[in-house]
Amino acid sequence: MTMGTRRMQRFARAFPLLLLGGCFGALGGLGSPAWAEAPSVRVPVEEFTLGNGMKFLLVRRPELSTVSAGWVAKVGSAHERPGLTGVAHFFEHMMFKGTSTLGTRDPIRDRQIIEEQEALQERIRAQYARQRERYRLGEIDDPFDPANRTPELVELEAQFEKLVEEQRRLMVKDEFDRIYRQAGATGLNATTNPDSTIYFITVPANKLELWFWMESERLRDPVFREFYAERDVVQEERRMRVESTPTGRFDEQLNAMFWTAHPYKWDTIGWMSDLKTLSLADAQEFFSTFYAPGNLTAALVGNFDPAQVRQLAERYFGRLPAGKRKVPEVVTLEEKQLAEKRMNAVCDCATQVAMGFHTVPFRHRDSYALDIVAGLLNGPTGRLRQRLVLEERLASRAAASQEDLRWAGSFWVQAEAQGGVSLDRLEEALWRELERLKSEPVPARELEKVKNQVTATALRNLENPFFLMFQLLFYEGWGSWSYLNEWPERTAAVTAEEVQRVVERYFQPENRTVVRYERKMADAPGAAESPGSALGTAQEVVSGGRVES
Amino acid sequence: MSPSRIATGVFLLVVSGWFSVAAQAQSTKKPAASTIPARPEQLVFPPLQFEVPERARFRHELPGGVVAYVVEDRSLPLVKVQALFRTGAFRERPEEHGIARLLERMLRNGGAGDLDPRAFDEEVDFLAARIAVQASDTFVAASLDTLSTVLPRALDLFVAMLREPRFDRGRLAVEKQVLLEELRQRTDDAAEVGRREWRYLLFGEEHFSTRELTAEALERFDRDQLVAFHRRTLGRQGLILAISGDVETKSILAELSRRLEGFDAVDVAPWPPAGPQWQPVPGIYYAEKDIPQGKAFLGHLGTRWTDAADPELYALVVMNDILGGGGFTSRLTRRIRSDEGLAYRAGSVFGIGPFWSGEFQVGFDSKSETVMRATQIVLEEIDRLRREPPSREEVELVQRALVDAFPRRFDSAAVMARTFAEDERLGRPFDYWNRYRERLLAVTPEAVQQVATKYLHPERLILLFVGRWEEIARGDAAGRASLERIRGDRKVEALPSRDPLTLRPKP
Repeated sequence: MTMGTRRMQRFARAFPLLLLGGCFGALGGLGSPAWAEAPSVRVPVEEFTLGNGMKFLLVRRPELSTVSAGWVAKVGSAHERPGLTGVAHFFEHMMFKGTSTLGTRDPIRDRQIIEEQEALQERIRAQYARQRERYRLGEIDDPFDPANRTPELVELEAQFEKLVEEQRRLMVKDEFDRIYRQAGATGLNATTNPDSTIYFITVPANKLELWFWMESERLRDPVFREFYAERDVVQEERRMRVESTPTGRFDEQLNAMFWTAHPYKWDTIGWMSDLKTLSLADAQEFFSTFYAPGNLTAALVGNFDPAQVRQLAERYFGRLPAGKRKVPEVVTLEEKQLAEKRMNAVCDCATQVAMGFHTVPFRHRDSYALDIVAGLLNGPTGRLRQRLVLEERLASRAAASQEDLRWAGSFWVQAEAQGGVSLDRLEEALWRELERLKSEPVPARELEKVKNQVTATALRNLENPFFLMFQLLFYEGWGSWSYLNEWPERTAAVTAEEVQRVVERYFQPENRTVVRYERKMADAPGAAESPGSALGTAQEVVSGGRVES
Repeated sequence: MSPSRIATGVFLLVVSGWFSVAAQAQSTKKPAASTIPARPEQLVFPPLQFEVPERARFRHELPGGVVAYVVEDRSLPLVKVQALFRTGAFRERPEEHGIARLLERMLRNGGAGDLDPRAFDEEVDFLAARIAVQASDTFVAASLDTLSTVLPRALDLFVAMLREPRFDRGRLAVEKQVLLEELRQRTDDAAEVGRREWRYLLFGEEHFSTRELTAEALERFDRDQLVAFHRRTLGRQGLILAISGDVETKSILAELSRRLEGFDAVDVAPWPPAGPQWQPVPGIYYAEKDIPQGKAFLGHLGTRWTDAADPELYALVVMNDILGGGGFTSRLTRRIRSDEGLAYRAGSVFGIGPFWSGEFQVGFDSKSETVMRATQIVLEEIDRLRREPPSREEVELVQRALVDAFPRRFDSAAVMARTFAEDERLGRPFDYWNRYRERLLAVTPEAVQQVATKYLHPERLILLFVGRWEEIARGDAAGRASLERIRGDRKVEALPSRDPLTLRPKP
């Protein structure tokens, strides 16, 4: 039960370049002769759709003893709104809480308790509304601090705890997980990103029907018990991933600054104050809106009989009713950025600079050339390492990432300072490499090298059946799994001229957001006491122009 | 998708031949009537016949003491080679402490044979090969991942790196600077601080498994020292190869034997490596870090194995799974996360070391005020495992889970080759995996309680917390738990903050 953030993608450079399937046709020309023998591989996907709209993608691997199976709901944090940020990811957690028949010994009383809990929570929410008002008036410093609770709130929460205890006595704890586990299934989990939510597992090949039973049942008849304990778990996840890491909270605010209008501006984990107020009704509304079969796609990779899978799919998932309403689209388009944005942060972290640009969404015709640009800049012989790390010795690490998400995209370059190199010099060097891409055509051999790497990566991505299943769902969540087969061909067709064109088009000063992290000097007099220096500053500079060192 | 397109996917459709799986029963099973059982337990599954691949079938001895495991898999035109050398931090002399980490960088990045660093990297990158080196405390692993279409040249480069590293002086200066920046960052992250202090508390600061590179050593190391360490410790003696993918066994072994001929280290490694002499001191320790969560590391030394047939080893596996190793079906995850919502991550490991005692560790992250409450639960559950045997249902759940998931351990050529190579390195007997399931199934609830009583020691616990200590010690507002309530007669000690460059306590 994890969540993906754009920050993670940007620096880990996991997607999309590393998630490429298929490969080019024969490569010729400038490469070593061996490359002319490079095989052509496409992912052999068998596809079908049930009457209710749920789609299935099948890839047989008969040599395996397992099936990696999963499904994607085409909804992520981009579908949220202020006040409900984090609900997509939190809802993902709730999908593991069982059904009417899994997770309790007394379904009737279980339902009653949930209703009684909600009635109490409604009163608790009213109390917290009052706490927020007290906070706005300056009467308390934190509306959620237990020390600030009113006696009535304390009493209501105590009553709620009693209901939780009663429900727990009826529960078969974590039965959903238990059934899978005792069947030898492994890796039960899910992940949420801004555009999709993916549920996955690997089951022994002889027990594939169990997957159909379990997954269709939790979609048909989910029960969101232990809602409020799980809400606490998600808050702990936020504390762990965002608030207790060296740059987590800064990254979150950088993201919020980068996007002006688009809902990508909040991270998938959501804002803490929203997480503390999410209600069961919010989750139920979310489920009925976004988890209809027409918004779901399943993928299976492993040892199975496709004909039997079709029958099982029809029998189990075919019983899910089609959605009654159309799944809402994310209609907000990102506003064109008018001026450079800057954030200067001080933290317990490496001194570093990152520079981001608004670019294009998934499968935009320019995204392929931008992937090549990332390939040119990255890797042991990529331009950033060659120039900034090895030749000029300004940086200890440097990387680029192309992040074309479903609805909009960005491109980032970043570098960590080596020794006492100033951030001005580092930033100027990063910018210079981008400028060089504009002014000098990419040499043919360098372009060929990047394409060779993509070919090899494409083959490697087919090795692991779980990973292949995950890629199918990931790209399907963004629009179409067929990207796996399209991408290599379209990237292979990118020319040096196109590289120059996209660099010129997107890497402009007024389209740029720059973040500079400076290591907090703990011993510097007053550094720890000054909130300004500890937390840094965020500002939007309403003027264009490039940075001068 | 058109049939012609499916037909082009030949690389996915070829069945590789390492072992047979009789899950085809799946395809012969007729679907039942259209009724769906009310409960998943009512589903009936065909048996999965799985035979453990015989390790000896894949094992080959090459000249010079090299052992190679080759697992062919022609489904994709890819080859993986991993070389496990009997060197690492345990071979460092006093004046060389930390040099294995520099070797890791310079072996890969310092050029090889007649290629300077840039030329070497360019050729590897152009071939789209991946070459990596990882130095550990008791081994150095070098790996090659390449398309089979360019295998001969990729092997040339890989072996040149191993045998004739240039340790280029210019690149050495860069890598030292890059490493220095990494050293500077090693007290930034609370989790990393906790992991380091935990190892120090358990194994001491002097053993090679916990020793880390310092800035002063880094400054001192030069090319001559790297050359000497490489010559002295890297060679065929004790070398284990794991080869998988699109290769023909006889041919790849001949190629590697030829390329490795005469590649011998000056010294033969003492084996097995010596364990730490440190005696852990039980108590409560804390390291300050300004974060809203406390990161908890609770436990003590585990044990080491000498006889793979010892029934206690398998009882310990089950015990740990029940305590905190089994995810949501384990007691700690259930109580700390699922019941009370105190943590996102909560679990345990019980380490059974090959050369010295492993570590028993419970870990979780919880907001400052609930760290003590979660700690209280951990103490209760350790005590409970010692006091009473687990239910038969709990034990059987773990057994079924591990036995039914067992075939996954051999589900790819690369995993198989690496598993067998690791078996060889650790000295596991040949029948280890063949007997694994039956030994696991022989574990009883009473045996679990016996090992819990023997190997879990509340009085020896080290409780380490990283975070805002004052808030952590105060406990929760509800008054359920606090430092005073869990302390007993344990000592409480603040750990010093460390200079990231030296790892010595700051004055």
